[in-house]
Amino acid sequence: MMIELDEVRFEYGSVTVLDRFSARFPSMEVTALLGPSGCGKTTILNLIAGLLKPQEGTLRVDDKFPHEVRVGYIFQDVRLLPWLTVKRNLDLVLPRTIPAEERLKRIRSVLRMVGMEHALTLFPDQLSGGMYRRVGMARAYLFEPDLYLMDESFQGLDPPLKFQLLSVFQQLRSMSPKTTIFVTHDIEEALLVGDEIFLLSPMPARIVHSLRNPVPPNDRVPGNQDIAKIEGELFTLFRRNNIIYL
Amino acid sequence: MPSPEGKRSLLLIRILSLLSFLLLWELASRWMDSPIILPSPEATLKETWMLLRTGGFYRSLGATLLRGVTGFLLSVGAGLSIGILSGKSNILREFFRPFLTSIQSTPVLAIILLALIWFPTETVPVFVAFLMGFPIITTNVTEGILSVDHRLLEMAKVFRIDRWRRALYVVLPSILPHLVGGASSALGLSWRVVVASEVLSQPLLGIGTGMQEAKLRLETARVFAWTLAALVLSYSTESIFRWVVHRLKRLA
Repeated sequence: MMIELDEVRFEYGSVTVLDRFSARFPSMEVTALLGPSGCGKTTILNLIAGLLKPQEGTLRVDDKFPHEVRVGYIFQDVRLLPWLTVKRNLDLVLPRTIPAEERLKRIRSVLRMVGMEHALTLFPDQLSGGMYRRVGMARAYLFEPDLYLMDESFQGLDPPLKFQLLSVFQQLRSMSPKTTIFVTHDIEEALLVGDEIFLLSPMPARIVHSLRNPVPPNDRVPGNQDIAKIEGELFTLFRRNNIIYL
Repeated sequence: MPSPEGKRSLLLIRILSLLSFLLLWELASRWMDSPIILPSPEATLKETWMLLRTGGFYRSLGATLLRGVTGFLLSVGAGLSIGILSGKSNILREFFRPFLTSIQSTPVLAIILLALIWFPTETVPVFVAFLMGFPIITTNVTEGILSVDHRLLEMAKVFRIDRWRRALYVVLPSILPHLVGGASSALGLSWRVVVASEVLSQPLLGIGTGMQEAKLRLETARVFAWTLAALVLSYSTESIFRWVVHRLKRLA
């Protein structure tokens, strides 16, 4: 599923977040949107998810309208309903046309995939940060989306937990490859996840550089020499463009 | 949650408070030495016992209960509907605001007197309970709707959670604490205004009617006995309400 934004403009009040922003996200690949905080990355995801509408320009997802596309959005803050158990949070995204027994089977299966089968009856406030985000990923997968949107999904996690979750994500994606847009301000994360990396300028966002990740997906592990080398090159590029990545 | 020892201490403090109050009452009534102005706790208790043994007492209690509950339910229905609409629309919120503020600022007595002109005596307490409770519930429900986390609504939209389940699982749990708070205040208020309305409108049966009749006959102990009945009624309904809310929360 190819996503194309053409000359998109979006303002929040008097603040122009996107001004004639154009990008093309290749089908079935992971594109990492790497940019400084507050540059408009989440706005791009919200436009694709249909939560916002472009004020100018066009947005195409294949030949569908955004509201026709099933989006597996992995929010930065996950957004589980705090008053429902993990099971009921996941059950909400499944259509009622599926019998209850089948729904439970699917929920158990996806929780097993993310290593959370014991959490079925737990409430969100009983989960640790990593468990909470795993449930967020499980929910997106269970929804059987046409594409994944990931908004800083590993931000604020300790490196071991971050890489554990990255491998959970890679595992889920390998079971059902979908076009994925991954937003981050962490260079290493972008290189570990993205097949294609778009570097964004501060607000209003525009693509200042795009890069095809030369490291094959299976070799993208922390400490990989090639990844470290590209990381250094990108860092130099940011400095040259006067972009502070935080 | 206090420990069992803490609970015992709290209970002891409450009993001491009640005993001090009764002692003060006894002393004051002895000092006054006039059962018409201030009967003793003992005389009040005796009068209450006599009242409990009359069939008219239970019919009056039932009549007041029915009026209070009817007024309360009407205020919940109207408050919920208008509260939701006001929470959803700025225009409606501004439209209803002057009405709600005016009702809340108007003295209860003025509303009772006007209701006496407009309605039959039996309806006056119901109308007043409704009118006093409804702005409280409306304001609370509106606040609840405004406090619904828009990020959860976005999540529901992205994952295509249908309108019905969105209302049940996203909106309702957010407004429930506000609704319960508002309904609890409205319920407490409804007994006070129902009894006050009965005192002035004098329906055939009712706690307020009983109070007014006792006052006219200078039976102060009986006025106290009716007051005690109103207190027990208010406390019991509040407890039942809290129990129902607790059960509903567990069912959800």
